[in-house]
Order: sequence, then structure tokens, then C-alpha cells
Amino acid sequence: MGIAFDAAPDRPEHIEAILNGLDRYNPETTTIFQDYVTQQCEDRTYDCYANLALLKLYQFNPHLTRDEPVTNILVKALTVFPSPDFSLCLHLLPPHILSPPPSSSPGSSAPDTPLAEAVTKLAHLNALLEQCAYRDFWDALDADDLFADLVADVSGFEELVRVRIAVTVGQGCRAVDRGVAEGWLNLQGKEFEAFVEEICGWGVGVDGVVSVPVNKENEAKGTVVREEVRFEQFGRVVRRAYEQPA
Amino acid sequence: MALYQRAPYDTANRHDTVDDESDREEEALVEDYKEQVHFDDGMSELDRTTSFGGAAGGGGPQDMQAQLAAAATPLEFGAALDTKFASYDNYCNLFHCILNSEGPVDLEVPTYYWAWDVIDEFIYQFESFCRYRNRIARTESTGEEAQLLRDNPNTWGCYSVLNVLYSLIQRSQINEQLDAMKRNEDPNQVAGEYGNRPLYRMLGYFSIIGLLRVHCLLGDFSLALKTLDDIELNKKAMFARVMAAHFTTYYYVGFSYMMMRRYADAIRMFSHILVYVSRTKNFQKNAQYDSVSKKNDQMYALIAICVAFNPTKLDDTIHTALREKYGDQLVRLQRGGPEALPLFEDLFRSACPKFISPTPPDFDTPDLNVDPVDHHCRIFMEEVKNTMWSPTIKSYLKLYTTMDLKKLAGFLDVEPERLRSWLLVNKQRSRQVRWSEGALLDGEVVNGSDLDYAMQGDLIHISEAKVGRRLVDWYLRNLARTY
Repeated sequence: MGIAFDAAPDRPEHIEAILNGLDRYNPETTTIFQDYVTQQCEDRTYDCYANLALLKLYQFNPHLTRDEPVTNILVKALTVFPSPDFSLCLHLLPPHILSPPPSSSPGSSAPDTPLAEAVTKLAHLNALLEQCAYRDFWDALDADDLFADLVADVSGFEELVRVRIAVTVGQGCRAVDRGVAEGWLNLQGKEFEAFVEEICGWGVGVDGVVSVPVNKENEAKGTVVREEVRFEQFGRVVRRAYEQPA
Repeated sequence: MALYQRAPYDTANRHDTVDDESDREEEALVEDYKEQVHFDDGMSELDRTTSFGGAAGGGGPQDMQAQLAAAATPLEFGAALDTKFASYDNYCNLFHCILNSEGPVDLEVPTYYWAWDVIDEFIYQFESFCRYRNRIARTESTGEEAQLLRDNPNTWGCYSVLNVLYSLIQRSQINEQLDAMKRNEDPNQVAGEYGNRPLYRMLGYFSIIGLLRVHCLLGDFSLALKTLDDIELNKKAMFARVMAAHFTTYYYVGFSYMMMRRYADAIRMFSHILVYVSRTKNFQKNAQYDSVSKKNDQMYALIAICVAFNPTKLDDTIHTALREKYGDQLVRLQRGGPEALPLFEDLFRSACPKFISPTPPDFDTPDLNVDPVDHHCRIFMEEVKNTMWSPTIKSYLKLYTTMDLKKLAGFLDVEPERLRSWLLVNKQRSRQVRWSEGALLDGEVVNGSDLDYAMQGDLIHISEAKVGRRLVDWYLRNLARTY
């Protein structure tokens, strides 16, 4: 059994109560949700369903919107790629935030707000992660000073992303060239070896190959799916036999 | 099951529900259909009474009846802004009367379909009002109508609409009732003095479906699915007795799944309802069929999109109809690559709900009022772009059991590192959350693809899940033919 989308193991009771009641629409709960986002950033927990509730409050009450919780929520969503969470958050942001100013009337277009700029850049990072262009992701993260500010609140951002990358790599690979893996994880030398061996449980060979132990996802074993026959499928036939005795 | 039996309006075919067989159920639903055709004739008579009854006051019982009927009747196409404002006031009066009178209102409902029609029309008018307001702000933000809209920011406000729906749900205790039924207990025990009455029970029930729709229109897809926690999706659900409700529910649930990238679940939802429609379409020769028919085509478009993301063997009926309607497009979608992008976008735009923005637009800066459809479409297209190479890769991998990455990169004319990323993307996307039991948001990650692979350095190991021959369908079909 997987975990339901609306469940979060570390969710405090008072948040649970708000989410299940009508208070989730009450603008006064905004601050409670904001504090909860801050808490998630600090203690490395994650609760997408609650964060979406905050974005919804902003959607209904634009004057309450504060940039920092929005960007923090998006940065947190980056750390759980390749889940759809980042997109689900974007869907709740105001429609103009992602759209480039119309080229037909460059003069009259509204000035780019800092939030719009931040969201656009984070969306770019998300795109790189979803495309599995991990090396490009680290380069992009490094190249723009804005990102340092954006991810500063999220404790252990790089490490969280690195672990997610390692998970996706572990699903798709049995062995990776060390150079490739170093680029993907943005670690070199001793640091790389420590991370790969201790956290991922992979082996680093002297021949420059990182080997990933076999797991359910990377064994890629062929199977034959057989048809499942249930008696009920024959219900009609059996009934026919009764209705029209020969 | 329990719900079906206890439904107060359930007249015909009660004995049929005792046995669990789906054929019988479908016959029962078809019977319902015939009833509904008659029902529409009844409605048009009610329309006529509205015209002289006047919908405002709410004095005598006659007036009230007229008001009930008016609430379920669509506005004329292109109705003036005044009419839209007046209609909003009418709804407010009506719901205020139903919700806030002393004790439950004793009302004879025109038919049990009425409750659905009211909620449906209420949300439809909310949706079209929001879209209209947004368009005015975008295009003619200085006109007279814009001024009128600017002066009345609270008309058709999102909070009021949600308030009505949630209040109806709470008053009727419908969630508690549904929960009791799930546990095979008597819902009347928890229904309270309001929820015992068909009027409140039905309004409450359809308000849940209404919420599903509103959340979806606002882009909150997970909350949309969460809303249906207490409703079990099956042929015995209460909504299945009203065709339009049945249809709407599956459309929005399917769409929400699609936006959460749960394509297998989305396909399951769309297939279910499309099969049902194709079986009952002979009985749909009335005006209502037009709206069903349009949504029908939209759902085929959405199924085409989902199948392109997640190749699946479809039900034969659906497969044939899909080939007829979107044969050429389907092939192009499934081929993927940059050429397919405009097609994905066209289909998405033609088949998505008419998204709305919950807050009044900014009349002073027209550029800020982007059409919400553009917004959601843009986010969706990111995902399409991200996966557009998957079909190409799969078509090659299918031919081999092992393959050198550099060699394949040569075939595809891309850099090996790009290909390596594509392979990882495709691998990730083949894992999807899929529902197996419980609430709609539950599910576990499964491998939805028949093709699997793993990279060992530059060597790709490929395996395939082969499907054994499927004989039962074929056997049954031919057996049926011999009778």
C-alpha cells in the first residue's frame, strides 16, 4: 500500500484539523500555514497537501500573499521530484505569473515582480530535474546568485536533491561510470565516495565504475502476463443456458 | 449497495438491485434513462410557468415552486449582465431560504433530478460569469460593463459559491450519511432533521459533486479528488441515477487524475463512462444529449492524450471509437517528438474544463488578466515536452535485448549524455501511482509499461513483459454470436 497523496506522517494535529474543516478557507489560518512551511523547511519534513492549502488561501486572498512562503513551497517541491508536486503548486499560482509579457505591447506590460522572476527561475530548475539533466541543474543552480537566496531557508536543500537524484539513478542503472555519476551528484573525490558508499550503499570500483546493487527497479526482468479469468465473466452465458433450455 | 436501495426516489427496478450482476444494473440504468427523457418534457412545462410566475419574491408556495424551477433553468445564451446579477440574487435568496429558515423547509421538489440541475446550473453560471468578467477585463477594461463589474466585486464571489456548497453539505449531514452507508448502517440515524428529507439529502449529495467541479476549475486537482472521499465510485452510487451527474463526475475525476500524472487511473475513469454512454446512447435522443455528446468527444480527446503518455490496451468499444474520432491524431500523439506538441496543446485546450480565476480581475492592468486556461495549459505542456522523446526511445528499445548507448545515440543523432537523461526520464515516467483500493487519492507506485530496462555503464539491458494470448473476450463474443 502506498501513501495517499493527502497524508503526511509528520503532520501536527492542529494542521490536520484545519485541513479537514472549513478553516482551511479562513484567511486567519494563513499565518498558521506559513509557520508550518517554515517548520518544514527547518526540520526537513514535507507536507504537500498542507502547502497546497496555503497556496489556495493566497489564490482566494491575493492581498495576503507573501513571496517567501510561496518560493519556499516551490523549493520544497523541488526536493521531491519527479513527483507532480511542483506542477500542482504552479497550478494554484496566479495565471499571470508564468506568462511572458505580451510582445505586442511591450510598453504597457506590467513590470516583472520579484515573485514572478523567482517562480520562472525555479520552474526552469524543475524542468532540468524532470529532464534528468542533473549536471545542467547543478550548473544552473551555481550560476545564478538568486538561487542561493531562494534555497537558503530550506535546510539541506542540496543534500535532499542529491538523495532524490541518487534514487532515480538507482532505479535506472546497475553500473555508472564514475565521471558521469560525479557530474550527476555534483560531488568529487572523497566526498563523492563517502556519499555513494555510506548513504546510497553503492560500491565504487577501482576501475572507475560505480556499481548499484540489484533492486526491484533496476533488475529489468522479463515476465509473461497471463490472462486472469473470473467465473463472473461467464455469467451471461450461464444465464442463457437457464433461460433457453434446449 | 445500501445507498442504492435506500434512495427515496428509487421506484422502478428495486428488485433488480438485489442481485449483484452488472448486466441487470445496466438494464436498470437504461430504464432510468427512459424516465429521464420524460422528465425533460416535464421540465419544459415548468419553464412556461416560470415566465409568468416571476422568480423574485418567494411569497406563496406557487412562487416558491416557480423559483425552484427557475434555479434549474439555464440562462439564455448571451444574457445581459443585469440578468446575470439578478440570477445570482435569485440563487442567494433561494439558498438562504433553504438553509436559514427555521427548521427544514417543506418543499415539494419538481423531480429528484431537480437537485442536480440546480447545482449544475449554479456552478455553470458561476463559471461563465468568472470567464466573462476576466474577458471583459482583458479586452475592454474601460467600458460600461467593466465599470459595473468593478463596482460589484462580490457578485458570484468564490467564497459565496463555496459557502453555499459547503453549507448544503453540512446541513444535510450527507458525508455522515454516506459514511454510515459505507459501514452498512442506517443513514437516517445520523441524517438529522434536515438530512432525512430528500430535498436536503439530494442537494447535499450533488453539492459534493459540485465541489469536485469547482476545485477542478480552480486548478486544485488533489482537493477535487479528496472531496469525493465519502462517495464510492461505482454503478450503484447515487449520481449514477442521473445521467448528467454520472457523466460530470467521471469527467472531472478523470481530468484531475490526468493532471496528477496518474494516467492509468484517468484512463480507467474515462473508459468506464464512455463505455456506459455507448451502451445507452440509443436512449439519448433529446436536447440533453447535445451536451453529453460534446463532453463525450472531449473525453475521447483526453483518453487519446493519456494513452499517448501511458500506452494501454483499451476496451474494444473505446478503441474503435477512438480510432474513428482521432485516428490520425492518435498516431501522431503516440509517435511523440516536437511535431506532436501543437497537437497535444490543441487537444488539451479543446477538452479541458473552462478554468476560472477565483478573484475579480485587475481592471487597471489588463495584461495581468491572463486566461487561466493558458496558465494551466502551459504547465501541462511542460510535462508533454519533458516526455516527448519517450515514444522514440521505446520504439528502438523494443527491437533489442541489449544495446550500446553510444550506438543508439548515433541512430537517434543525439549526444550520448542527452540520451542517458532521456532514458532516465522514460524510466521514471513508466512508474506511476495507481489506485487499487480506498479513497481516490490512495494508490501505490507500479510499473505501467511493458518495456523495462536498466543501464550498466553504456550497455542497456532491455526486458519486456509479454502478455499471454487473451482468449476469454474472444470466446465470449463468438459464443454470443452463435445464439
